[in-house]
Amino acid sequence: MDKQLQQFLTGRIWLREHIPFPREAIDAHIENGHIHLKPGIEQEQNQALFGQLKKYVCNRCHNTTQHLFHTFHCARCNQNCTYCRHCIRMGRVSSCSELLLWHSDHARGANAHEFAWSGRLTPLQKKASEELLTSVEQNKSHLLHAVCGAGKTELLFLSIFRCLEQGKRVCVAAPRTDVILELFPRFQKVFPKTTIHALYGGAPDQEGFAELILSTTHQLYRFEKAFDVVFVDEADAFPYYADETLQRAVKKATKQEAAIHYVTATPTKSLQTTNQSVLSRRYHGHDLPVPRFDSLWGYARQLNKGKVPHKLQQWIEEKTKTNTPFLVFLPTIEMLENFPGDLPRVHAEHPDRKELVMQLREKKISGLLTTTILERGITIENVQVAVVGAEQKIFTSSALIQISGRVGRSFQYPDGDIVFFHHGISREMDKAQTAIEGWNRS
Amino acid sequence: MNCLICGTTFQPSPTWRKLFLYEKESSTCDRCFSNFKKSDATIDFSDFQGTCYEGAVDTVTALYSYNEAMKSYLHQYKFLQDVALAQVFAKTLHQAFEGNEGIVVPIPMHPEKLIQRTFAQVDELLNSADIPFQHLLSKTATSEQGKKTRKERLEASPLFEVMNRVEAQHYILFDDIYTTGATLHHAAKLLKDAGATRVEAITLIKG
Repeated sequence: MDKQLQQFLTGRIWLREHIPFPREAIDAHIENGHIHLKPGIEQEQNQALFGQLKKYVCNRCHNTTQHLFHTFHCARCNQNCTYCRHCIRMGRVSSCSELLLWHSDHARGANAHEFAWSGRLTPLQKKASEELLTSVEQNKSHLLHAVCGAGKTELLFLSIFRCLEQGKRVCVAAPRTDVILELFPRFQKVFPKTTIHALYGGAPDQEGFAELILSTTHQLYRFEKAFDVVFVDEADAFPYYADETLQRAVKKATKQEAAIHYVTATPTKSLQTTNQSVLSRRYHGHDLPVPRFDSLWGYARQLNKGKVPHKLQQWIEEKTKTNTPFLVFLPTIEMLENFPGDLPRVHAEHPDRKELVMQLREKKISGLLTTTILERGITIENVQVAVVGAEQKIFTSSALIQISGRVGRSFQYPDGDIVFFHHGISREMDKAQTAIEGWNRS
Repeated sequence: MNCLICGTTFQPSPTWRKLFLYEKESSTCDRCFSNFKKSDATIDFSDFQGTCYEGAVDTVTALYSYNEAMKSYLHQYKFLQDVALAQVFAKTLHQAFEGNEGIVVPIPMHPEKLIQRTFAQVDELLNSADIPFQHLLSKTATSEQGKKTRKERLEASPLFEVMNRVEAQHYILFDDIYTTGATLHHAAKLLKDAGATRVEAITLIKG
């Protein structure tokens, strides 16, 4: 038995064509029964009202949306072959492709874990952290409902350390790559002796058996019954709540009977857990900045004409003059691109996204125009925020809460301006404001 | 309908043509499709003058130019093997070949390469557009054109051989992308030498 292969495949479900091991090695392990094969696509027989309906299922991403399957005549198997378009960016899975599963003794970590964290928790954080630990030890799912800037990641450290000590395999999953990239160096510092892998689209190959995996929820399509404990961070972020296959992916990656824990600032109804902790204070103890509403009638028309509405112009000029960094959130990429003036701007497909955020942090630029892509995960000292068109559909209450959560995160500047410029107040805006005020009261 | 490229649902716009005549349904939303740019440059292949390929191809028509949208389309279609994307250009290809008299001959793939990719991307484009075609050529060279310089491409030994009878007829070669033109000139010369009267070429993209 090849040890490296064992370490690689333990807990994974992997496309045969993509495995970084020689063909002969794989063949030998299949023959010995160490590797189990699964067809890429299977058909489920469904008893329908009239006759039988055949439903395709992708064995990697568990997609069952039928219009995301395509059948063609395959030159490799010389038959009609069906493939899944849903997870095609991870390498195509078709009827004639084989998925490899490790079917023998699991690899185990050999590290003596060390907990090198010297930070301190506030009494509220401490309480939530202990509640989480109790749930983790009792293997009961837990929801950690914490406001933006409460210091959520630190709360996980203790629970993760205890699990690692018990020889458990732990996964911290988040919907966005940016979050994983931010968490990775922090975890490496806190657990210096643990093998940690960070998995996201385009991640480099990483060696050895990881006891702790930080992964985007997408990458969990490639795992099956791998983890003893899973923490889903930012469980309210797009696309996790909107894409059912991602939620299924998290469940599939978790061992049966193992609990999944969620961390979020804006829980949705679909997140059902046994236990819950609420953390309604920021780590610095100050109130959350409450968004104020300001009308900006007909902003869309004015922007279309190449004019920045007066109030918005004033707001931007004031921030530029006082040299405070600012973010302006816009509802669409079109509006962002056509925004008059030469303010730097970022959206999801923007190649210099990271650099521009860095420049804002270092005060090399005065402000940034952005789409909702920067709604979470970024911390910029003393940043002021304006949302233009806050009544638009894309700004759900949870998006608005996250955006408001960018303001006043540091000890030095616990307050700041957060303004919703609108063309009519929406219910979602009200909801966001009420929620933030509610946390401040509690 | 769900757009094949971005996945959002869209409503194909009703047209009189669709109601009374035959027209292929579009498989992408307008927003995605408008990112492809029609090619207006006429293809100049005067640089083949003086070589043995002079006059092999009579005309070349390329339908689209190569831009970011096309690049990511080709990546998903060929590299990620998303065969379904062959339908994206079904309508435009159907129109391009309409009223064009001549036997359509797709540029073939090497059999080994075909098994690797699992489908012939050039044939699938024609299939989805309901354009009948004949395989007259077979690929003999295994090396990939994309990795060679123009000079190397032209000096290469024949890339294809004729595997069926070529008549004294009008042929239309079809390929996915026109880069230096070496592939099409190699193929056209073979057809002409075997007795074809006229050889036209149509490609989806001008590289």
